Amino acid sequence: MATEQNSVDLVDGEIVRQFARAALLAALLGAAAPVSIPIPLSPVPITLQVLFVFLAGLVLGPVWGPTSILLYLAAGAIGLPVFSGMSAGLGVLVGNTAGYLWAYPLAAGLIGLMVHGDTDLRDPADVSLPVVIVALVAGTILIYGMGTGYMAWALELGMWEAISIGALLFIPGELLKIAAAIAIVKSGRIAPIQS
Amino acid sequence: MLTYAPDDTLAHRLDPRTKLVVQIGFATTALAHTSPQALLALSVVAGLILLAARVALLEALYAYRFALVILAIAPLIAGLTLGAPWFDLTDAGDSGRASYRVLLILLVSAAYVRSTPVRASRAAIQRTVPGKPGQVLGIGVALVFRFLPVLQADFRTIRDAMAARLGDERGVIERASTLSLLALSRAFDRADRLALALQARCFAWNPTLPALAFSRADYPVLAGAVVLALTAFL
Repeated sequence: MATEQNSVDLVDGEIVRQFARAALLAALLGAAAPVSIPIPLSPVPITLQVLFVFLAGLVLGPVWGPTSILLYLAAGAIGLPVFSGMSAGLGVLVGNTAGYLWAYPLAAGLIGLMVHGDTDLRDPADVSLPVVIVALVAGTILIYGMGTGYMAWALELGMWEAISIGALLFIPGELLKIAAAIAIVKSGRIAPIQS
Repeated sequence: MLTYAPDDTLAHRLDPRTKLVVQIGFATTALAHTSPQALLALSVVAGLILLAARVALLEALYAYRFALVILAIAPLIAGLTLGAPWFDLTDAGDSGRASYRVLLILLVSAAYVRSTPVRASRAAIQRTVPGKPGQVLGIGVALVFRFLPVLQADFRTIRDAMAARLGDERGVIERASTLSLLALSRAFDRADRLALALQARCFAWNPTLPALAFSRADYPVLAGAVVLALTAFL
C-alpha cells in the first residue's frame, strides 16, 4: 500500500473562524427549512431561509457568504433533508425550485459586495441604511428573477404564469424579511470577523 | 422522511461517483425532452433505478410533496386563458409533460439519497473537487450534517422560550427578527467554539480520506449514465 508523506498544512486561524461560521450558517439555513409560516392561497409557505441568505451576505461577506450557501446546497444534494418540506437530493437542484436555490449564493455574494465593498468585512451596523436596503432589494430581485425564470423554462409556463405561481404571493413576506434583516444587523449584536 | 437506509441492493453497492453521474445523465436528458415517447422511456429508466435502490414510490412521492403541489398547479395555471375557451388543453398538456419530467428527476435523486451514506458522498466530493475548494466543501458538508440536529433543537428551544413569554403574539417582523437573531448568535457562538476545537486538533488542508474504489459493477452503470446524457442530443 502506498503511503503519503506530506507535512501538515495547517489552516490559517482567521479562515478557520470564517469557515466554522459559514458551516454553521449553512446548517442554520437547513434548520430553518421546516420553520415555516403558511400564507393562505399560496402553494409554498414562507420560510426564514431567505432571511438567512440575506444575513449570509451581510455578516459573512462576499466570499464566505456564498461559500456557506454552497455548503447548504451540497449537503442537500447528497441527502440531508434541508430543502423545503424537508426534502433532499440532487434532483431538487434541477427541479422546479432550482432557480431560487442557485440564486441564493449569487444573492449572498451580491449583498456582500454591495455592503462590504470588498473582502475586508465591515460591521453592517455602521453601513448607511439606504445601502443596506438597496442591497437587500437587489438580492431579492435576483432570487425571484432567477427562480421564476427557471420555473417558467422547466415547467413550460409563460413568464407571467410563473410569476403568479412563484413570486407574487411572496412579495409581502419578502418585505417583512428585509425589515427583519435590517433590524437584526442594526441591533449590533452580530458582528462579522474583522481582520 | 427519505434518508439513507443500509441495504444490499445494486444501488448500495455502486460507487457514489457512479450514482452522481447517473443522476446528472438522467437530469440532462430529461430536461431536453418532453415528447410522450421520451417521457415513457424516462419513466421506465426511473422505475428501474428506483427498483435497483429498493425505494418505496409512495414514500419518495411524500418526501417531495411540496414540489408536487407546484408540479400539479403549473399545468392548471398554464391552461387558464382569459377569454374563450378559458382552458387551453395544449398549453396545459405541454406544461403537464414538463412537470412530469421534473417529478422523474426528483424520484431518481431519491434513489441516490436512499442508497448512499453521507461519508461516501463526502469522500466522493472531496476526491472529485480538487484542492482547497474540495476540502472546504467536504468538511463543510460533514459539519452541516453534524450541526443540523443541534441547530434544529436550538430553534425549538428559542420558539418554546418565546411562546412562554407570549412572544408568539408579537408582530411578524419582531417575531422573525427575534427568532433569527437568537438562532444566529447561538450558531455563531457554537462556530467560535468549533473553530477553537478545530485548531486545537491541527485542522489541516491535507487530512487522510477513506478509500473509494470502482468495482466491476460500476463500469457498465457509468457507461449507461454517459449514454443517458448523450440521448439529450437526440
